[in-house]
Amino acid sequence: MSIPTSEGPSHIEDDGAPIDIPTVILPINFLKCSRSDLIVLISRMLVFLIQINDNNAKTDEDKNGPTEAKLTRFHSSTPPNISIYNYLIRLTKYSALESAVLLSSVYYIDLLSSIYPAFTLNSLTAHRYLLTATSVASKGLCDSFCTNAHYAKVGGVQCSELNILEEEFLRKVNYRVIPRDNNISLCEFEYQQNEFSITNPNVLPKDLQFSITQKNSGYNILDMYYRKMIQLIGSFSSSPDKSRKVDYKLEEIELNASNIPDDVSHNPVRDRTNRPPNKRSYDNSTENSNDKFLDESDQNNKTSLFNHNKKLATEEIKMQINERIK
Amino acid sequence: MSSQFKQLEKLGNGTYATVYKGLNKTTGVYVALKEVKLDSEEGTPSTAIREISLMKELKHENIVRLYDVIHTENKLTLVFEYMDNDLKKYMDSLTVGNNPQGLELHLVKYFQWQLLEGLAFCHENKILHRDLKPQNLLINKRGQLKLGDFGLARAFGIPVNTFSSEVVTLWYRAPDVLMGSRTYTTSIDIWSCGCILAEMITGKPLFPGTNDEEQLKLIFEMMGMPTEANWPGVSQLPKYATSSASFQQQYPQQQQSKDLKVLLQANCKEKLDDVVINLLHGLLQLNPDMRLSAKQALHHTWFSEYYQRQT
Repeated sequence: MSIPTSEGPSHIEDDGAPIDIPTVILPINFLKCSRSDLIVLISRMLVFLIQINDNNAKTDEDKNGPTEAKLTRFHSSTPPNISIYNYLIRLTKYSALESAVLLSSVYYIDLLSSIYPAFTLNSLTAHRYLLTATSVASKGLCDSFCTNAHYAKVGGVQCSELNILEEEFLRKVNYRVIPRDNNISLCEFEYQQNEFSITNPNVLPKDLQFSITQKNSGYNILDMYYRKMIQLIGSFSSSPDKSRKVDYKLEEIELNASNIPDDVSHNPVRDRTNRPPNKRSYDNSTENSNDKFLDESDQNNKTSLFNHNKKLATEEIKMQINERIK
Repeated sequence: MSSQFKQLEKLGNGTYATVYKGLNKTTGVYVALKEVKLDSEEGTPSTAIREISLMKELKHENIVRLYDVIHTENKLTLVFEYMDNDLKKYMDSLTVGNNPQGLELHLVKYFQWQLLEGLAFCHENKILHRDLKPQNLLINKRGQLKLGDFGLARAFGIPVNTFSSEVVTLWYRAPDVLMGSRTYTTSIDIWSCGCILAEMITGKPLFPGTNDEEQLKLIFEMMGMPTEANWPGVSQLPKYATSSASFQQQYPQQQQSKDLKVLLQANCKEKLDDVVINLLHGLLQLNPDMRLSAKQALHHTWFSEYYQRQT
């Protein structure tokens, strides 16, 4: 399998990890991560995915001859003339996107791809996809948001087009825009059953039955995507997007048995203001290591994220990186 | 509009939609059809996105069920479970002449129990309703009560920075929110539940203010002025200084709360006991941290006949 190569300037091509790359330690809580760092991470993640998908399409074509392109509403005729990084900066600045919105736009890639196989994030779809995902997330999750007319103007499309994209997105994901545990699996079930909402929970596997008949308080998803991204493309050398020369690492978690929140995911604002920063701890049984923490959060989200036939964005990149290391 | 439903009479105008009664032609079941106009500037209204995304998760007998969403050219139709009436209209219908009447206490209790059951389910699912008021509580002839209108609701498990203080209809808005707090959580809905309980007892809104300032004044007159002693941190709220200064100027003597029981008894035909007043105080604590949770309220002695029957 061919590995995507850097699109950045050649003097930093060298994978020999130059010494002059600064390391930034990112907070465990994504809300405390500056949006400019978050944008770098997301941009690296998306550029990586785009290269993988563009490459796969090309390999398919080489193998099977010219295939009928699966066009979606998200397709442009040619790749837009603005990098993902700059486009993200533009949207964030002029539409005041919140961190949760930015992260949701990564999560929505997996959500949308899981029930809409024709959609892949590639150099032709990424911009329209990002514009749609961020405006839907802002309207669905935040108390302050703008009109589609505003989002469209910032994003460089006609408002009528954004309206169509928004409707397309909402219909496809069946309005499941709240990032929480089991959301993707439930969305797939609704899709398979061709139902707006599952009326008969017995059609679902046991663990999913529980999540629709009992409480669903799982909100680990965005945290998980944040930490996964740092793990996967935190290092400058592992990312094909060379927009910012920096290595990211997740801060070490301070361990203290007396300070374990009852629910890692829960995060009412009050919690944030009262708890001193960097004092949250999650697991008194392990020695250290963010890896352990990542594994743990994986387990919590197993049903929604890793029982998939389809590979998720984070999984796909992990595979590519492993491949490269070999 | 898909031909599956026959549109019948108009039931009312919501904040962003018109609601019609509808008949499902295949099943013969009545539904409520909420029509949302799609504005060309706004796109799909945020209220519709929230209402649909949140309500499709909430399956509980005290929450109105959202069955389906139908897209057509320039509108979105939300298909809801049909309910005969709402609590506001029902209470209005009991008015004799110009005198509003409270509900019979056994009915007050049954409604309040169902309200708290529905709300506890929302909160367990990390959803804040943020607009509880009699108009948004739907009832039917069997005496069932269900929470409706989730257009202002939000999932509070997702950490976002902006929490609007422009939430909840004024009369049912908690004092911390009125003073500009943006760090509220489930307690915001509990305050509304307290206001609704008092209103069901007397037939009159408990704090019918006309603006933010008057609303706080009415609350402080009844419940006393909050202080750092009974509510640590209150003086840090954006509008605390102005509201407390103007209040103390007007009522230099008044620090203590009035007797809620005496006030409510004046407008209630049946004899009120201390148990329900105790519950009311638990719901209407000025300090949001001191308010009961919905789960705790359901275990209050006033409801003992319900939970004893359940177990």
